[in-house]
Amino acid sequence: MKARNFVGFTGLATILLASGLETYKPAERRHWSFQKRSEPVIPQFTAPTDRAWGKQPIDAFILARLQKEELRPAPKATRATLIRRLYFDLIGLPPTPAEVHAFVADPSPKAYEKVVDRLLASPRYGERWGQHWLDVVRFAETDGFEYDTHRKDAWRYRDYVIRSFNADKPYDQFVREQLAGDEIDSPNEELKIAAGFHRLGPLRKNAGNQEVASSRNEVLTEMTNAVGATLLGVTLGCARCHDHKFDPIRHTDYYRMQAFFAKTHDNDITLATPEEKADWKAKHDAVQAEMKSLRQQMKGLKGPELENMKRKLEDKENNLPEPLPALFSVANDPSKATPIHVLARGDYANKGEAVGMRPLGILLPDGAEEWKPEKPRTELANWILQPDHPLTARVVVNRIWHYHFGRGIVSTPNDFGRMGGRPSHPELLDYLANRFVENGWHWKPLHREILLSNTYQQSSRSPMEQIANEKDANNELLWKFSRRRLDAEEIRDAALMVAGRLNPAAGGPSIMVPVDKELTNLLYKPSQWAVTPDPEQHNRRSVYLIAKRNLRLPFMETFDAPDMNISCAKRETSTHAPQALELMNGDLANRLAIDLAKRLQSEAGNSPVKQIDLAYKLAAGRASTLKERQLAIQFLKAQPLREFALAVLNLNAFLYVE
Amino acid sequence: MPEHVRLTRNRREFLTDAFCGFGSLAFAQMLHADITKANPLAAKAPHFAPKAKSVIFLFMAGGPSHLETFDPKPLLNKLDGQKRPAAFGEAKYQFVTKEAKILGTKRTFQKYGKAGIEVSDLLPYTSQIVDDISVIRSCHGDMVVHSAAQYQLMTGRVLPGFPSMGSWTIYGLGAETDSLPSYVVMPDPDGALEAGQPMYTNGFLPAVYQPTMLRSGAKPVLNLDLPKDVSFDQRKKTVELIKGLNEANLTPGDTEFEARVSAYDLAFKMQTEAPAAFDLATETEATRQMYGIGKETTDDYGRRCLLARRMVERGVRFVCVVSGGGPGNLQWDAHEDIEENHVRMAAQTDQPVAALIRDLKQRGLLESTLVLWGGEFGRSPEAQGGKGRDHHNLGFTMWMAGGGIQGGRVVGATDEIGLRAVEKPVHFRDIHTTILHQLGLNQDALSYMHLGRRERLTEVHGTVIKEIL
Repeated sequence: MKARNFVGFTGLATILLASGLETYKPAERRHWSFQKRSEPVIPQFTAPTDRAWGKQPIDAFILARLQKEELRPAPKATRATLIRRLYFDLIGLPPTPAEVHAFVADPSPKAYEKVVDRLLASPRYGERWGQHWLDVVRFAETDGFEYDTHRKDAWRYRDYVIRSFNADKPYDQFVREQLAGDEIDSPNEELKIAAGFHRLGPLRKNAGNQEVASSRNEVLTEMTNAVGATLLGVTLGCARCHDHKFDPIRHTDYYRMQAFFAKTHDNDITLATPEEKADWKAKHDAVQAEMKSLRQQMKGLKGPELENMKRKLEDKENNLPEPLPALFSVANDPSKATPIHVLARGDYANKGEAVGMRPLGILLPDGAEEWKPEKPRTELANWILQPDHPLTARVVVNRIWHYHFGRGIVSTPNDFGRMGGRPSHPELLDYLANRFVENGWHWKPLHREILLSNTYQQSSRSPMEQIANEKDANNELLWKFSRRRLDAEEIRDAALMVAGRLNPAAGGPSIMVPVDKELTNLLYKPSQWAVTPDPEQHNRRSVYLIAKRNLRLPFMETFDAPDMNISCAKRETSTHAPQALELMNGDLANRLAIDLAKRLQSEAGNSPVKQIDLAYKLAAGRASTLKERQLAIQFLKAQPLREFALAVLNLNAFLYVE
Repeated sequence: MPEHVRLTRNRREFLTDAFCGFGSLAFAQMLHADITKANPLAAKAPHFAPKAKSVIFLFMAGGPSHLETFDPKPLLNKLDGQKRPAAFGEAKYQFVTKEAKILGTKRTFQKYGKAGIEVSDLLPYTSQIVDDISVIRSCHGDMVVHSAAQYQLMTGRVLPGFPSMGSWTIYGLGAETDSLPSYVVMPDPDGALEAGQPMYTNGFLPAVYQPTMLRSGAKPVLNLDLPKDVSFDQRKKTVELIKGLNEANLTPGDTEFEARVSAYDLAFKMQTEAPAAFDLATETEATRQMYGIGKETTDDYGRRCLLARRMVERGVRFVCVVSGGGPGNLQWDAHEDIEENHVRMAAQTDQPVAALIRDLKQRGLLESTLVLWGGEFGRSPEAQGGKGRDHHNLGFTMWMAGGGIQGGRVVGATDEIGLRAVEKPVHFRDIHTTILHQLGLNQDALSYMHLGRRERLTEVHGTVIKEIL
């Protein structure tokens, strides 16, 4: 990739449009994340043990920092611990007992590396890492708000993301496709799907006097803020109403960024033959006609009669043919370009000066002119994806680090501004970002380098726990591996797998699992929840369950799955009683406990010792300890196996990764 | 209270998130933060001495008309059938256009109580408790459509994704009960509202602050009941096994795993003790009658109001009792016929609402329970389709009672036709600020760092409504 001059772009800059181009104080320009990346010197060590541990650059940076605090890294974790850690981290599923056994028994010095490579090549990898991306881009398949209308084709974006991760698509290409896939002249449908990125946010639709300007403003706001938080790690949204209070992002900067989206509009590209389209239209028009006549009959009715008629109308509406398959995308429509003004307090009715396109001024020379590109989002992508852009690569490698270690080098992955965290290891961050760009923006080599580090392979317990805790209670310096609770999706998927019920089918339209009537009653239109008929589909991985903004599954909600209305850069991991209630009394846990009991019975026979042993190997990736075995044997003397199986799904050893 | 339920967020982040930059409050809140670290739902000291411990929000969803309830406008009847005089200014509605004609009201108003507060004949029961409530006639919000207005009413924002006032309340104060959830929503069994679930939720706050949606029917709380084929004694042994196995690997000082163990204790306690809270059979016949339980029109809302009292009695912090759900006309959303709709909706709620105030008062609970009544907006002075009224956000009525709110007061006023709040306008953010203030919470200090912003319930600084305190 040819490096572009970062602040240049003279080829595009044209005439100066708006007056009052921003200037920035030197102090504002000095903020660490706006500086170009450094070429950090890799620390060297003299003591042989240090030289051995810190041989790889990642470890050298970590070790040097630990030494400053007189801390030592923890010893290497056991193989059984490591393989379970790797599996959940890379594919979000537990290893089978056979896989654990093979790894533990493998005498090859490359045994660990082989597991890493196998998992990186697994199609399950994209399902796990794709979910991380879906969190960040607040992916959902419904509009939210009143109607929460289903976006029948939004699943294609989810599959696109998973495919991209599995193919190890370079990040610059991945981002370019999402920002500007529709601007690329290509018959490749994938590019159109990717550009659906701009439509992922919630969308307010209302009956009655449509406030066209207001709705358009909301749409543009969603598009702009998403780019800020997702790709640049700056809280652009804060500058929508006024100059950013903490970061050097001016009110005008916000709208100059928004101007890149001025002519971007929804575009549903129907995938059907002309005959199919005609057929669909005939069916659609017929139902419409019936609805029209119902509406006429409704006139003059009131009270319950009217409600009754409304329900009939709704039934009819549900008979409308399903929309034809389509690509959920965007396209430029210059005839419908929205004039972009600086809006006082973000209020669309309160228009200030007109502004044109230009990226953030703080990353350009003072007084940088506005741009007039033909393909606005392509040029925005080019700017964001310059190899030496100070934010882009840092932000993405920090996300990768965050998911591996449970905490980013910058602890606020969506905010690299002044209110965000300072990097705990600034040189390491730059080192990783440099490596990432040098390796062609590929994720997998970076994963590999991190996973093969001694830092990653540390035990989650340190012999110097007490001293280290006093100095660095949050383990920011990585003197051990931080234990983590599984995410909501991991818990559900792992429980399905342990119980032998996981349906590994990949891709396709999203699944609606059966839920209590009480839950669908909380929907404005309960009929929207149309349970997928084939029960085997209900056991698919969580990433394939529908992401409906107004109905989150209680199971997922209680284990901190994100809300899908705003970008989620890091998940909370709270601990509270409803989680215990979900895993003790919830339908899913009890159903899977029965399945697990059957599995234990059929695979381990009638011996309680063997059943216990298998259960621990399946759920915890290890044999049971003597004490655990004694407790369980005692229990099984008088209690049914399904209750033991339920207990297994409630074990810390199951729900946490060491 | 369990000692060790812990938020797995680090202390520095927590301090930054919640409190940085509020010097005078900082010290007390560091203590507060330590308690929070041990148990996110432990009862926490408020920022200053509170008047209220709990909140009950009687949510009249869909937008009850101020013009038919608490805000008499004689001029409206004089202008009936005419266009709005230009002097009143412009208004933007969801459906009615500039051509719409003023609609007079069929309701009659009378003064009640020592204070002589005017209430319409739609609310005969409420008229008897006016000396306990403060009527705010000058409420206004920013949005004229249900979903966005409901988000603003509940979360202070016109978009989904932000924490609700109930979540903020328990984030700020923690729980007073460990046998019941601390933030409870009782939806109307007729169906959901436009803003749906996201309006009640914890948004970006940790899931520990999520609402518990009470369900209609025999199992009000999700997962509180054992599976059909498992006995209590059986399950008790299983819970003991879970504890035993989890404790078998517990390193001393491992607060996170200790928290997990105590979450099971707490869950089991809830499971055994909560059902009693839902059992209305223990109430006297007189109480049941007062709430209108057993009468077809009032039975449902009466039951839910009585449940609300039983909740706050047991230390639940925030209860939302929704009137209205499903299609618009089953809410207070009287587009077609204001008379038909409001007579019906008022008949369902008036008696239970008044009973709740009386009951709280006679039990000494009103002092510590703030009650808020109202919807996401009011209704238009103009007619929609002849007999209905459209949404209207520029001026409408809510009322508050208890928890340090003075009774018998009227605050603010709309103009002569009830179009616009003209005297002492009260925005949703002022309502939120007042609620927090009565709970002893400072709107600035009650904050949470999210995506680089210190988020609060009140995005723009609100003002306490001093006139009713």
